[in-house]
Amino acid sequence: MIGVLADNIYSPLGSTSEQNYSAVKSGATGLRTADAFGLGQPITASLFPDGQVDADFDAITADCDMTKFEKMLVISITDALSRCQVDASSPRTLFVISSTKGNVDLIDRPGFDSSLAASAEKIARHFGNPNTPVVVSNACISGVNAQIVAMRLLQSGQYDHAIVAGADAQSRFIVSGFLSFKALSPDECRPFDADRIGLNLGEAAATIIYSARPLADGWNLAAGAVRNDANHISGPSRTGEGCYRALQTITQGVDPEEIALVNVHGTATPYNDEMESIALDRAGLASRPVNALKGYFGHTMGAAGILETIMSMHSLADGTILGTRGFGSTGTTRTVNIDAANRPASGSAFIKMLSGFGGCNAAILMRHGAPTESFVSGACARATSHTVKITPDGAWVDGEPLLTTATGADLITELYRAYVKDYPKYFKMDPLSRLGFVASELLLQKCPEAEADDSRAIILANRTASLCNDLCYQATISDDNYFPSPALFVYTLPNIVTGEIAIRNKYYGETTFYVLPSVDEAQIKSLVEASMQDPATRSAIAGWLECPSADDFLAELTLYEKSTNPA
Amino acid sequence: MDNLVKELKEEIIKVLNLEDITPEDIDETAPLFGEGLGLDSIDALELIVMLEKNYGIKLEDPAKGKEIFQSINVMADYVANNRKK
Repeated sequence: MIGVLADNIYSPLGSTSEQNYSAVKSGATGLRTADAFGLGQPITASLFPDGQVDADFDAITADCDMTKFEKMLVISITDALSRCQVDASSPRTLFVISSTKGNVDLIDRPGFDSSLAASAEKIARHFGNPNTPVVVSNACISGVNAQIVAMRLLQSGQYDHAIVAGADAQSRFIVSGFLSFKALSPDECRPFDADRIGLNLGEAAATIIYSARPLADGWNLAAGAVRNDANHISGPSRTGEGCYRALQTITQGVDPEEIALVNVHGTATPYNDEMESIALDRAGLASRPVNALKGYFGHTMGAAGILETIMSMHSLADGTILGTRGFGSTGTTRTVNIDAANRPASGSAFIKMLSGFGGCNAAILMRHGAPTESFVSGACARATSHTVKITPDGAWVDGEPLLTTATGADLITELYRAYVKDYPKYFKMDPLSRLGFVASELLLQKCPEAEADDSRAIILANRTASLCNDLCYQATISDDNYFPSPALFVYTLPNIVTGEIAIRNKYYGETTFYVLPSVDEAQIKSLVEASMQDPATRSAIAGWLECPSADDFLAELTLYEKSTNPA
Repeated sequence: MDNLVKELKEEIIKVLNLEDITPEDIDETAPLFGEGLGLDSIDALELIVMLEKNYGIKLEDPAKGKEIFQSINVMADYVANNRKK
């Protein structure tokens, strides 16, 4: 359990949490319908007016070497820091950044490093922080996932404070992809409504500053879990499997009556909201008040989990459950307790949940007031002797070389044909997923079976996220040849590979993808140890999985096991 | 029509990365989704893009795809009657 010291929301509705909360409480929305990004059709989205982010940034700092995405984060973090006594430059303070696509609109700018790792380091250095920032890039659940990671790293005793900040800026890249998925509503979205037809995208940054010490009179992050559907890389589970399991994990021992609010993802796509209604019903939460905030902010992607957590904290502190703008009549097979109007709230705890591509789902339990003793976790991880390494020139399993003849991308397919054979979906995967899939298959052929279907986590990291496939997708949205490919777009998230491995092995446990500046075994081990704080996790497939281009890659995976003693 | 059927089969194999499947393997009367080729919702979206790119056919409602992608023969009929290029 960790305590909330300060927070900020920076969105088109306001520059502070308070401004955003009062705007939403009064029924305002950031959604506007307009032509944007040269797509030849109007979209409904919540976007910053041109020039606003630059002007807001220039008002607080003279640091000029930043992109719009990075400026949004700096603006949000600066305000949150001004509201507490946390020393951002202390080695005992960690930056945890959440984003799905970061600077994706700049991937083809010559000489520019568009990696999320580069952005995160720039931001940490801006605030004088000496630590390597942790970036969580786990599709739409990133913002909740980042808070869970922060909780675990604070509970490991390594840090006193964590600055958890998430953001995404919208771009032609992202909007065209959602259009190709037929996932956008041309009008304002209608979460959980019978006539919902899709989502709206939004821009925002949001920050929560956490303390390792829980607060007796304040909000605390009490529990969190990430679970995979093990079903499909883009379609939500028809049984709400991963979402239900995440909810079940965080509500163990909790009386449902204590829960004042469940703030759902509520994207307003037909399948997401239906899935969430099933998961809530299965988790015994159907009677609890539910709301969704996408009708005010749109889907703010990497910011959503943090922004919506903050809105929920502020609304409950104000004794209010915010109305679900856009909802009219029940449109899910399981009835949930949802209302378009603001309602009075009672209770000292709430749940924030999210689901995303790659089959990932995350949920956290936030609680007001708690014992003030810091919780220190003793969870440790031990690297087993089971390892896989694949480079463009060869492959090694448990240190022994495999006999291969091909090199580069052909090597991965040679390994697939020799050691996997029966999974034609391999040929649909992007190069990063092919690499991770084949590496995990080689590793698992040597490993003992997982103890339970949710006991093996998949924890992967790299520097360039899904850059290789991002460039392939980018080629399908040029002005003179605009045919955005949904099959490529779905792989423009680095965590899809974790979903592919989960689907193949029917692993319902945690799946998380991190973006880090470089291969750092100690850092990866510390993130694996963090994942072992989940009560279900007993082992993890973890390591570095980098693939900046189809012929340039490195996979170094290890099977880790939970242990109680540091090793 | 035979040429269009063959062309569609080749194009489907290409855009959906159906490795190790030849045009002869695809039964033009069999359902494209569900059993058979094991295609999924992303494949359906990709076929919608293919119809627009190759034949100038714009499908705004993905549900319409379900009708058109019943089989190669149904798809060929639809393309022949609605193609703009």
